[in-house]
Amino acid sequence: KQNHDVSSAMEDEALSNISGKAISLDCQTHSSFCREFTVSSPKMSIGKVMVYTCSVWLLAYGVFFFTENTTVLSSAILITLTGMMLHIHFVKVDHESLLVIGSLGIQLSSSYASGREVTTFIEMSRIKDIVINEAVYLNQIIYYLCVLLKEPSEPNVVSSVVPLFQSSKPRLNCLAKVYKSCQEILSKCQ
Amino acid sequence: MFRIDLIYSTVKTSLTLRRLSEVFVIMVENSPSPLPERAIYGFVLFLGSQFGFFLYCLWAYVPEEWLHSVGLTYWPQKYWALAMPIYLLVALMVSLVVLFGINMNNTAPLDSVDNITDVFAQGQRSDCYRKGGIPRLEDVSISEVNKMFYLSSET
Repeated sequence: KQNHDVSSAMEDEALSNISGKAISLDCQTHSSFCREFTVSSPKMSIGKVMVYTCSVWLLAYGVFFFTENTTVLSSAILITLTGMMLHIHFVKVDHESLLVIGSLGIQLSSSYASGREVTTFIEMSRIKDIVINEAVYLNQIIYYLCVLLKEPSEPNVVSSVVPLFQSSKPRLNCLAKVYKSCQEILSKCQ
Repeated sequence: MFRIDLIYSTVKTSLTLRRLSEVFVIMVENSPSPLPERAIYGFVLFLGSQFGFFLYCLWAYVPEEWLHSVGLTYWPQKYWALAMPIYLLVALMVSLVVLFGINMNNTAPLDSVDNITDVFAQGQRSDCYRKGGIPRLEDVSISEVNKMFYLSSET
């Protein structure tokens, strides 16, 4: 039996990322030791795309007006098209998910707007803990969820850190929900 | 022998007290409060800088032939009268931007272990304290802190 919980519909508070844009969190409980959390970033708005395209083309037309060189126009079109394709394939993340399977490991995956998915699996023997840490990011201090990894030979030393939900960067209320849910599974299986 | 011990300890205490009072006097003189000597130094610096600026303007405006005729031949070119202030101002603005850049470059990224722990926190020994006493000051691991903040607030 599956338990589906879309928090943006069922709860009063609206979740947002660190810049204030609205995001949504989706928690699925597949079984007593398997949970999946998906954070969806805000989609690209058609207005913003049109504004960027029109400004680039107006600029190219202005340059063409002064230089009378038609390569400026065709190169502006090519640059806009390739830029948009690269952006939706490599930069724009649609949703990121964290799948916790007790005593097996965790799987992190981010899927981009073009459909590309990047997945990482970390086995449970390498995981020390999943914690919420605060750190300096550019000009502010943000909360972020991270996985502390350890070497099996030295169980008390944190060997590396993997931050989660890097593209959507949710705020503390969303992170606290994910943290509590993860700790229920991790405390049983470690 | 007993009396020599007494005299020795008295002398040692008085010497310590004197050294303490000397240290105390030095600490009082290091305070940043205004003093007459500091006012004099400040005024001398003010007069000196105004006079230096007057000399600089004199060198910048007086034509080369007059300086040569007096006998002052080995001075920098007049180009530097404009170039030096401009160089200084540009260096000031660039150093402001570079300072921010160096700061941001030295900030640990989000995936570095320096945000979680460091050599000192890992090397601290946890010796058992006496029952009922105050525990020793030490770094708490981030897992404990998280449990305290986020898991125990369900009451």
